[in-house]
Amino acid sequence: MNRAGPLAGIRVLEITKVWAGPYAGKLLAFLGAEVIKVESRANLDEMRAYGGVDIDSAPYFRSINQEVLSVQVDMKSAEGMAYLHRMIALSDVLIDNLRPGAMERSGLSYEAVRAIRPDIIQLSIKMYGSDGPLGYQTGYAPCFAALGGLNALVGHEGETPAGMNIRYGDSTVGASAALAIVAALHHRETTGEGQFIDLSAVETLSTMIGDSLFAHGLTGDLPRAQGNAHAEMAPHGCYPCTDGQWISITVADEVEWTALVATLGAPLLGQDARFADHASRLAHRTALDAAIAAISITHDAEILAETLLLAGVPACKSQSSLDLIGSEALWSLGAYRLVTDARGETRPVIGPGWRMSPDEAPIEKGAPLLGEHNIYVYGDLLGLGERELADLMARKIAY
Amino acid sequence: MTALAGLVIVETAERVCGEYAARLLAVFGAEVIKVERPGGAPTRAMGPFHDGESTLFRYLNSNKKSVLLDLDCSGDRALLDRLLTRADALIDDHRPEWAAAHRLSLGGLPDLVHCAITPFGQAAPSHWQIARPINVMNAGGWGWHTPSETPADKPPLQGAGRFMSDYEAGIEAALCVAASLLARRRTGKGQAIDISEVAVQLSRADAVLGRMLAGDADPGPERTRYDMGGPGAAFACADGHVYLLMTTRTHWRGLCALMGDPDWAIAFPDDWLEFHCTPDRVADFRTHFRAWIAHQAKDAVSDAAQRAGVPLVQVNTAADIAHHRQYTHRGYFQSLDGIAYPTVPYRMSAPPARIHSHAPMAGAHQAEAA
Repeated sequence: MNRAGPLAGIRVLEITKVWAGPYAGKLLAFLGAEVIKVESRANLDEMRAYGGVDIDSAPYFRSINQEVLSVQVDMKSAEGMAYLHRMIALSDVLIDNLRPGAMERSGLSYEAVRAIRPDIIQLSIKMYGSDGPLGYQTGYAPCFAALGGLNALVGHEGETPAGMNIRYGDSTVGASAALAIVAALHHRETTGEGQFIDLSAVETLSTMIGDSLFAHGLTGDLPRAQGNAHAEMAPHGCYPCTDGQWISITVADEVEWTALVATLGAPLLGQDARFADHASRLAHRTALDAAIAAISITHDAEILAETLLLAGVPACKSQSSLDLIGSEALWSLGAYRLVTDARGETRPVIGPGWRMSPDEAPIEKGAPLLGEHNIYVYGDLLGLGERELADLMARKIAY
Repeated sequence: MTALAGLVIVETAERVCGEYAARLLAVFGAEVIKVERPGGAPTRAMGPFHDGESTLFRYLNSNKKSVLLDLDCSGDRALLDRLLTRADALIDDHRPEWAAAHRLSLGGLPDLVHCAITPFGQAAPSHWQIARPINVMNAGGWGWHTPSETPADKPPLQGAGRFMSDYEAGIEAALCVAASLLARRRTGKGQAIDISEVAVQLSRADAVLGRMLAGDADPGPERTRYDMGGPGAAFACADGHVYLLMTTRTHWRGLCALMGDPDWAIAFPDDWLEFHCTPDRVADFRTHFRAWIAHQAKDAVSDAAQRAGVPLVQVNTAADIAHHRQYTHRGYFQSLDGIAYPTVPYRMSAPPARIHSHAPMAGAHQAEAA
């Protein structure tokens, strides 16, 4: 299927479930690749089941898998696997995030896949990677964040480090997977050689604190959760506003400090000896945070943020889910897009973090119905006739 | 030959997001030429320091070359043009006004893959573009919802370390640059890439926020709207912390067995996690579990949990990770002259990503610009 975008012409097969693997596929599709999700009613992505009875309109699934195609293949049957092999032969990339050993048990080890398509790029997402002393272990995204060292750095001062929100992690793993795949496509472009990429979700989340890990190795100082404190900025944090709102404010120098004091209309703050200069403000950060909170609490967060930004002080309202989806600014900046699915239903989705020009892939199609692209894959790609496909469906090979 | 060998990237970025994007590409073998202002890049002045050098700068700029250019001066600006004639890509992270003032506006270099990272994207009001990472984390929703179960009177948090939103945006930028460079190798055409740090934050929440956006789930003002309910949380144990995530009957049975089937657990219905997961029950469970786990050692109890099929894991610190047997097996840290660099979370069967040189001295490769 012809698409625009920098990855146009690249075909990706994904055998993925839940979030991390599908997110990788989505980003590649958003860059123009043709991404085909291999699915079966016999072994459904849980995301098609959560939150509803209709597997074709499941909220979780539809929130992730836009611009992705769906083909049904029963991977438990030899005949289904034979067709899958033919699809692999026509693909540049194969992604999976199944449990350790599952691909091998299905006869899809890298050695086996490479025998079908010698220059394939196969990427496998596992909690700890595919082998090694702990390679057998499995877990969920909050486990990756805990094991990867990230959660230990997130917590209010003096409390058990509670970690990032429980939903954090899978999408970051998927984005990192997409990057590795594109790097490998370059290597193939240069040498003709494919490869196996063994991704560790835990290590991926460690890269989000890479500077802290590196600094610890050099200095021996153990980084710890310290709320919103920053070694080089004060104030640096979130401050309460009216109606339970919060605002984030950062000040790095005298210019920003002067602007903050003026904007808050708080000359006493400016005259307080404890806050007289940068070093004093860092030394008295707790008192400073309390003093600012006593003032911010009388302000509306959005109005105060806009006023501070205009005055040159970095500040943003801490946005709730209600703020985010109601934000006219985010709509007008193109953060959200509208897609239409095969049933003609249009819905808003969250776009990618980029815009590009002149070669941007369109984002128009919603997540696929199960098997929506059976005719394209079995017919157009593999050359089967209508009757042959009908027979495969009747015999639940395409199921 | 490493994956991106032969590609030349010029970096005028001066924030962590842009420097990290270029680092990702440098670790894959691209030749990255970093343009530093007179006196050196701003990140050289950011701590923590070791032996008088910024550890942050050293982390972000390994594998790169450095040239010193004063882009406010026309002679040096012309040298940048000469650098760009042999470059494939340019990575920048300044405000659009700065770019315009230095003849580096996005869209003005059509032969190159030109990536500009800003907090809100090129089309946003200019005064918004001064946002720092904690502002971006809060503008994008992860701040408001972090940590899970935060009471209303506690502040939203910035995330782990100082630069999470920068690293997320850096991944996105590196992905778009690498993809566009692949197309450029085939078509010869450049690309202008506009990365919004806040849009990246939103995208990472697609399965949560996206359902609310589409009307499949209710948004709300609560701090807990991204949460899943259930007893999952971090707990203090004898020698640190562990994280327990428990969602199924199998997990519950496994945990009961692990705890030696205590009497209090019998009061819980077998299927409570699936069908009877009330706040009272979660609180009751945590009270009992907290008392038990407080006396357990994190490695021993985590290993036993894995064998019992319970997702209970260590909350690792930087010290735990530095000597972690799985990280060691996979070579996540690569030693160069005795210094341990975090590399990439991938093992690649073709020539791997690697660190080949330390961060450069400012202007160490000035001849590149001559």
